[in-house]
Amino acid sequence: MNQLNNVLTLFFSLLVEAMPFLLLGVLFSSALLLFIDERKLIAAVPRNPLFAAFVGSLIGFIFPVCECGNVPVARRLMVQGAPVSMSIGFLLAAPTVNPIVFWATWTAFRDQPEIVFMRVGFSLLIATIVGWVFSTQKDFRPLLQPAIARSMPVPRHRSRRRKKHEESVSDLLQSGTFILGQSGQVQLDGDPLQAAALVANPVLSKPIPVRLQMMVDNVVLELRELGGILVIGSAIAAIVQVSVPRDVILSLGQDNVTSILAMLLLACVISICSTVDAFFCIIFCFCIYQRLFTSIPNFWSND
Amino acid sequence: MAPTPPRSSLFPTLMTLFDIAALLAWSLLLLKFCWTKEINLLLHPDYVWLAYAAGLFLLGLGLFKSVQLLGRSFNRSSRRVARSQAQAAEALPHFSLFPFGSALLLGVALFGLSFTPQPFSSQTALDRGVTDTLTLTRSQPQSFRSQSRPEERTLTEWVRTLNVYPEPDAYKDQKAKIEGFVIHVKDQPDDVLTLSRFVITCCAADAYPIGIPVKLKGSRSAYAPDEWLRVEGKMATQTLSGKRQLVVMATSLTKIPKPDAPYEY
Repeated sequence: MNQLNNVLTLFFSLLVEAMPFLLLGVLFSSALLLFIDERKLIAAVPRNPLFAAFVGSLIGFIFPVCECGNVPVARRLMVQGAPVSMSIGFLLAAPTVNPIVFWATWTAFRDQPEIVFMRVGFSLLIATIVGWVFSTQKDFRPLLQPAIARSMPVPRHRSRRRKKHEESVSDLLQSGTFILGQSGQVQLDGDPLQAAALVANPVLSKPIPVRLQMMVDNVVLELRELGGILVIGSAIAAIVQVSVPRDVILSLGQDNVTSILAMLLLACVISICSTVDAFFCIIFCFCIYQRLFTSIPNFWSND
Repeated sequence: MAPTPPRSSLFPTLMTLFDIAALLAWSLLLLKFCWTKEINLLLHPDYVWLAYAAGLFLLGLGLFKSVQLLGRSFNRSSRRVARSQAQAAEALPHFSLFPFGSALLLGVALFGLSFTPQPFSSQTALDRGVTDTLTLTRSQPQSFRSQSRPEERTLTEWVRTLNVYPEPDAYKDQKAKIEGFVIHVKDQPDDVLTLSRFVITCCAADAYPIGIPVKLKGSRSAYAPDEWLRVEGKMATQTLSGKRQLVVMATSLTKIPKPDAPYEY
């Protein structure tokens, strides 16, 4: 009975702590998805792949969307002609490198601020490097779904023959769908209507009151889904902390490599939202640090 | 005859009803935890305002959605607007991962409304390993102000002071007056009990027990585990379980009621 009570108390403790942060994340992402035009962002991004990956990784700070909200945004960025490195950087970094996650991690580990900075810093580093690596793929279209690939801008290979051909053909005479109002002209292949739907955020054309209504609907939609996953994740965490003997948790990782692999596997199984996973992590950190501590000899006890 | 609504429109309405019920139930749950002070068993006091704000926000959101749903039911033009909004909502960039989350959230909130959280017990403290030191994940304030008069230090302040200067002889004969719950540690002799508190830094998930042994004049069986005591006495050094430790030599033990906020921070 005592164990059951502990499980339930831990379960509600995790939920009550995480719910405000989940709400905040959902509110921000809904507001920004419905009110920000990514085309203005793309125009300001540097063309150098490394810098573009770095800037893309930082966009999460003004676009704090978690992993289920950032895929469509990354897709729109790509279709609108953003460098691949920027889109990939954003895709990987946005769920972690954003103010909501920063605050949530700070709350969970407020006595160890180094964890907060290491989490954000290393995520930024990894996302930038991976984004940069992806930039070596000049034509990204073969890797994407056909509908999106057809809507992407055709990369211009600046070979001498191609350059000569471009000079001989006026832009005005080319067929296809073009995005107007961009600093450079972006041409799209494929069905113009489908392309238009992918390129622009379709919601931005709606009047503000309708957008506000849609924002509320989106908040409820995301809360329904992420809240459900949070409940399952919290239940697993509470049951693990109470019912699984501490030795078993500690034996998850006997060294640095296996403990990381064990936590990666656990993350795959639980799939908890990045906004609130710091609270989930506390449970395991407690165990692992306890093991570290007990391995430190207590000099005062031996004299 | 009024046209019958298409069959497919029932499912979204049902989903909306579940959404509204889940939002309102969760707002009631959060506000109930705050109003009944049960939140003290779940969260660090610094974050209670967040739970309060979330409860109020969810209440507002739930009421807004209720009004919206009622408006749609009674107003045909609103229904048209709702339909066009639903079509627009389909254009929202979102991947559906867990469509039945509302039912789950509602069930959990309804259960939570009837559930009263309990503070962790002495058995939990024993399972987690009660110590008079603070480990790496535990709160290690860079500075803290301890009471200069030893008899005014709380149990946590004693442990923090010990952490800074762990030599027990440094505190010999200092007066002590501490409160906490009783733990019977197996390895300790019958005339020694451990007075303990749980400390939290964020929420109950990171609660960890701290404790100081108390040397009694008689058997510890007079004080049951989990009983709350105020212990007065003097500090001394004793060797318990092969380890030199700071121990309170009790001169007076008073049974006290369990505090509303049993954790320390």
